[in-house]
Amino acid sequence: MMSTLLEAFRMVLQTDVIIAIVLSSIYGLVVGSLPGLSATMATALLVPVTFYLSPIAAIATIISASAMAIFSGDIPGALLRIPGTPASAAYTDEAYAMTRKGQPELALGICVWFSALGGIAGTLSLMALAPPLAEMALQFSTFEYFWLAFLGLMCATMVARSSPVKAIASMLIGLLVSCVGIENPAGTPRFTFGLTDLLSGIEPIPALVGVFAVSEVMRAMLTPEPPKLPYRRFGSILAGQLALTKQYVAPQVRGNIVGIIIGVLPGAGADMAAWVSYSMSKRFSKEPEKFGTGHPEGLIEAGASNNASLASGWVPSLLFGIPGDTITAIAIGVLYMKGLNPGPTLFTERASSMYALYIIFIIANIIMIPLGILMIRIAAMVLRAPRAAVMPVIIVLCAVGAFATGNNLFAVLTVAAFGAIGYVMERFGYPFAAMVLGIVMGTMVEQNFVTSLIKSDGSILPFFNRPVAAVLAAMTIAALLWPAAAWIASLLSAKRVPKAGAA
Amino acid sequence: MLADRLTGLFMVVLGALAAWGGSRLPPVPGQQIGPEVFPMVVGIGLVLCGALIALGVGHQFEEEAEADLAKITSEFEADQGLSHQDMPLWRQAFVLVPPLLLVFYYLAVDRIGFLPTAAVIVFCASLALGGRVRLALPMAIAAPLFVNMIFVKLLRVPLPSGFLPLPWIGLP
Repeated sequence: MMSTLLEAFRMVLQTDVIIAIVLSSIYGLVVGSLPGLSATMATALLVPVTFYLSPIAAIATIISASAMAIFSGDIPGALLRIPGTPASAAYTDEAYAMTRKGQPELALGICVWFSALGGIAGTLSLMALAPPLAEMALQFSTFEYFWLAFLGLMCATMVARSSPVKAIASMLIGLLVSCVGIENPAGTPRFTFGLTDLLSGIEPIPALVGVFAVSEVMRAMLTPEPPKLPYRRFGSILAGQLALTKQYVAPQVRGNIVGIIIGVLPGAGADMAAWVSYSMSKRFSKEPEKFGTGHPEGLIEAGASNNASLASGWVPSLLFGIPGDTITAIAIGVLYMKGLNPGPTLFTERASSMYALYIIFIIANIIMIPLGILMIRIAAMVLRAPRAAVMPVIIVLCAVGAFATGNNLFAVLTVAAFGAIGYVMERFGYPFAAMVLGIVMGTMVEQNFVTSLIKSDGSILPFFNRPVAAVLAAMTIAALLWPAAAWIASLLSAKRVPKAGAA
Repeated sequence: MLADRLTGLFMVVLGALAAWGGSRLPPVPGQQIGPEVFPMVVGIGLVLCGALIALGVGHQFEEEAEADLAKITSEFEADQGLSHQDMPLWRQAFVLVPPLLLVFYYLAVDRIGFLPTAAVIVFCASLALGGRVRLALPMAIAAPLFVNMIFVKLLRVPLPSGFLPLPWIGLP
């Protein structure tokens, strides 16, 4: 234990890892603060860079860039009322109201301080949850893995902020995409349409770059340029934060716990955590009437929640290869490339790497405070960068980055196609995070489904009569039936309302 | 709702095609479960979901979520006096610029090299986003050189040099 910990410190304190943490933190802060560039996009564009780093440095860049980007999305939210990342959208109004009251320092201070605390709470949950779950997961067979993967897919559709039917449809499209190629248990080429480039299947990373980066650039083509941020002098950013920490203990704890739970749920990430926490905060608050007028409570709870979800999103990703959110969906690809294949054995055989990962999380959340304050002070300058200068570079980076993942030009076409698909889906209300999950997990679902069926000789009984499998199956079926139940309930209540009105 | 009808029907067709395509895959001799099972399951699922969407099931969930978001985004767009609904059709077609530029990259990069291709992409995209030539032109020169420096020098990605061999920036 002690020697593993020392080994982990030795791994993190390498020069290349430290440089990677600092540079990717700055990158994350800048990308996150620019409206229209999300934390997931920051991660996706980092992937080609991680190829050329050591495994620990590669993970460090992803962790620090994503943590910083989730925080710095709050900056334009508070100062301009435009969320820098979707994760900040839930409480943008609240933060902006504080700025209008003349307290921008307080709003931004809350964002940076409670983001860091939330991130650390999330890391602690990762440290506490992962090892015992790994112990349990060592006994899983393909039946359990099938249900787990299926449950993961269902969770993603349940928590999507959209129609559950559309979310399931998106997820199925993702699964269909993962069918392409010869990477299936039978090794038969499927849906390749005679193209050799499709034989190896559709690579997840170019597809994710398209969905998260190109579709954002496409959206920027039709939306107006955000207004320029006026230069202003800020007072002390951290003043009064300790008092707030003491005053609002319950919202913080609640925010952290909700964030951790939502992070662990597959597919649901920081943006979902922020929405849920903000509305929970309002419901449980003693002074709900103050919400929306620049009241710190909701900001504290939701700001902590979205950063907490970031770390706990790694729990299912590291243990089962099931992404906890869209950022870890990309990170899983990097883990495989770096020989850190997700699975319970990661915690027994590569324990030092896992400790290193925890340490990086803690470091990233601590340096978030000084770097974040610096970023707040120069935000007016960074946000002055016109979109017409930033977005074109992103297109080039998408092309080069996709090419670099396999020195294959076909990947560039994949990026273009998935950019268009992502844009169309978003426009018609299909949550593309569900599709991404389908793409990433498709092979795993099919592999475990088919091997289980072959093992049981076509019988479905073993899917239910192993104890853990039975529990997972029950949860999955409940998740599947939940939208139907909710729909019927809403139909019934809709019928009752006009009657009551008539009476 | 018309959009839901259309996209729902599209899902039905896509699912049916997937299930049909899957069913035509050759089975593995001696095994009941072949490569056809998974696409068929997914395809049938898509047909069901598509039908439900076309019938408008689950639409009210979307309205709730949209109401939350609309509070933030629509007011901002209204402030700017711009919403893409009332843009002329040719202006809305700008949305296709990014994917088309990527297709251009695919077609051109091996023939004319990375630097000119990237310069064209940056220039066009910058203009499409409303940038002036005064901004787009220097960007078109500086950004490709910058990307080239990172990817060729630091990351050693073999980007094609085309007709601009510049050994001093790492191109052969």
